Amino acid sequence: MKYETDLPVMLPLERHQSEPFLGLKSKHILTVALIAIIGPCVAFAQAPSGQESPLAVLVNWAPLLLKGFIFNLIISISAMAFGTAIGAILGLGQISLIAATRHSSWFVTQFFRNAPWLVLLFFAMFLLPFEINILGFKIPFPDWLKAILGLSLPVMANVSEIVRGAVRSLPSGQWEAAESLAYTRMQTLWLIILPQCVKRMLPPWMNLYSILTMATVLASIVGVSEVMTLTGQALASEGGRPELLAPFYGFVLLLFFIYCYPIARFTVWLEKKYAVIN
Amino acid sequence: MEMVYEWFRTLYQETGINLPFLYDEYDRNRMIDGLFTTVKLSLVCLFFSIIIGVIGAWLQGSSFKWTRRFVSGYIQLFRNTPPLVQLYFFYFAIGTLLPRVENDWGGQSPIFGSFAWAAISLSFFAGAFNVEIFRSGIEAVPKSTVEAAEALGFSKLQIYRDITLPLAFRVVLPALNNNLVNLVKTTTLAYAIAVPEMLYEANQIWSDNVNVTEMMVFLLLAYFVLVGILVSGMNRWERAMKIPGYG
Amino acid sequence: MKIKTLAATLVVSALSISAATADILDTIKERGTLIVGTKADYKPYGFLDTSGAVIGIEPDLAKDVADKLGVDIEFVPVVSSNRMQFLEQGKIDLMIATMTDKPDRREVVLIPDPNYYSSGTNVLALKSLGLKEWEDLRGKPVCGIQGAFYNKATSQTYGAEIVAFKGTAEAYSALKGGNCAAFVYDDSAIVAKAADPDWADYEMPLQTIDDAPWGLAVALGEEKFGQMMSEMIIEWHKTGRILELETKWGVTNTPFAQAMHDKYK
Repeated sequence: MKYETDLPVMLPLERHQSEPFLGLKSKHILTVALIAIIGPCVAFAQAPSGQESPLAVLVNWAPLLLKGFIFNLIISISAMAFGTAIGAILGLGQISLIAATRHSSWFVTQFFRNAPWLVLLFFAMFLLPFEINILGFKIPFPDWLKAILGLSLPVMANVSEIVRGAVRSLPSGQWEAAESLAYTRMQTLWLIILPQCVKRMLPPWMNLYSILTMATVLASIVGVSEVMTLTGQALASEGGRPELLAPFYGFVLLLFFIYCYPIARFTVWLEKKYAVIN
Repeated sequence: MEMVYEWFRTLYQETGINLPFLYDEYDRNRMIDGLFTTVKLSLVCLFFSIIIGVIGAWLQGSSFKWTRRFVSGYIQLFRNTPPLVQLYFFYFAIGTLLPRVENDWGGQSPIFGSFAWAAISLSFFAGAFNVEIFRSGIEAVPKSTVEAAEALGFSKLQIYRDITLPLAFRVVLPALNNNLVNLVKTTTLAYAIAVPEMLYEANQIWSDNVNVTEMMVFLLLAYFVLVGILVSGMNRWERAMKIPGYG
Repeated sequence: MKIKTLAATLVVSALSISAATADILDTIKERGTLIVGTKADYKPYGFLDTSGAVIGIEPDLAKDVADKLGVDIEFVPVVSSNRMQFLEQGKIDLMIATMTDKPDRREVVLIPDPNYYSSGTNVLALKSLGLKEWEDLRGKPVCGIQGAFYNKATSQTYGAEIVAFKGTAEAYSALKGGNCAAFVYDDSAIVAKAADPDWADYEMPLQTIDDAPWGLAVALGEEKFGQMMSEMIIEWHKTGRILELETKWGVTNTPFAQAMHDKYK
């Protein structure tokens, strides 16, 4: 029941509560997304007579592309694990009381954060040796390992920033209160600051993972046999038929959407769960 | 200037460190064009992505269910798919569906070239993140502030423009900066659809001269400087905008 | 396929501990696998089948080499912009990847003589454009492939604006989409494309330029392997293997392959 009024103050409060961002509407979002991707594909996918229809061609290649996509996921998970481990240390280095540690950590973080992912990947790809020789043992450096290393560099820098940002985002009162209770710096950090930070760090960390997963396709530009490389090669093997591009790239978009969308929802759920109630 | 060019030519002959964009006029022009294209693409995308972010965040507070759904769908679609594939999709799939125009060499070319598609695609990509960033900032503005504005008889648009957005803006600046820096780095993807930006030109040069190492080091430094300028500008702005005791 | 690659690399590394400075031929035999870099997006010279295997004229040639050595074969897909780096790094033992034999490339990799193949540069363009000479390309956007040597020549000598893509699928698509006036590429591939009914409106209008031989390559300093490859190439020409493969993969026999066959017969 609504009643007529001109006074904003009299209006029901709920109007200002923004709708739950994803809430129940995910199926609508999914529908819109699917239409947006598949629509142009279908519109575009009209085969000239006498050839296999583009969708039939796509079905032929789908198993190979899926294999490639799984490889993307392996790269993303490894790079995330590796980057997070080093990045966390680097982040703590950034809030160190020792000026040298702080400054060098800051510099490393800034350097890798400011370099484009693609350029770092090129760097890792072309400048790391094919194998390294340590004490007569040859440690091989295959492509996929280089891709993981190349991608974990920016992840490391971003994690470092997330850690620093989270620590800095806590009110200084937390530090002061701990100090007044005679906690040491170490104790304050581990018992008071970091536990509160984890909640704040989780959503941006998940976002970073999403970004990383989507960045794995960059490995195609440097020749790792992941889904985009295979898509390009599949298209070339079909003789470069232009009407195939939309369905093929649409398919790749869809694969990533199906994987990343649930992660995004989970992140939002986490954000809500850990929301600091003011 | 000629002396400097000659010095680098000698450097190549003596040490094998090959920086052709410093002594070869053709390569030098390519590199300079590349730099300008990168800067231009970045600025265009920065501008449009912020516009998209502001409008999107406003539409998300709309009272029409379908407006909100549409914006959510847009965000989810662009956030959860790789920008590189988006770029391909825009350029190759959507680009060919649009009507064509007569061009000056007597053929039919699409309305948008690769630069335009890169700008559109990257703006939408970064814009999707910006909508969420602005939304989180708007949510961080205390309800009491909005209510106070309402009590003073501000209209919805006025509240958004004069109260919520300026406050939200300060809250979200760090996140926004982060995203904008990302955007500038993401412009390297335009390489894939042959937009002649810095990475593309560098790639052309190293293909012709087989000097990947030198070009790679140069590229890293160039982007480090470029992004460094942006970051320091943003930080300065962040400090200037700061309200003591708020956020 | 990846797991196999991983396993192979691990085995390779395990085996190569003992043979630190050995000749590459010994390494290959010890490892039991010849690793060859070929194109995977260059129909019909090297492309994928739906199972992900590399097939085509060059992979067939590579198989001959592996058979001769009595080892298995493994293909690493390469593109023009990374093929020489891969060879330098030792990632591949042998590269047969549609590479034009150029003096500056001979400084980076070892290209055994004689050449195994040849092609020239030409463009694929709409018939309605009525191109007559290379000069007609001046100021027009022309699609190309990243890393191809004729990009620079086309833009420097004839003033075309090169729009270079990573793969052929993108370039063909951009041409058909009207983003380019023409597509500059190897004439052998263009002849095949222009015969395709889908591309009936397109033609190869210009004089082929830069008719240049292709060279396969091994890493610099691998003289013994290079010597063996020279003999191998002569053998291919002598027996007409190249002509036979051209027919197998649907390419009209090229004058170069015919001439080499006649020379060594």
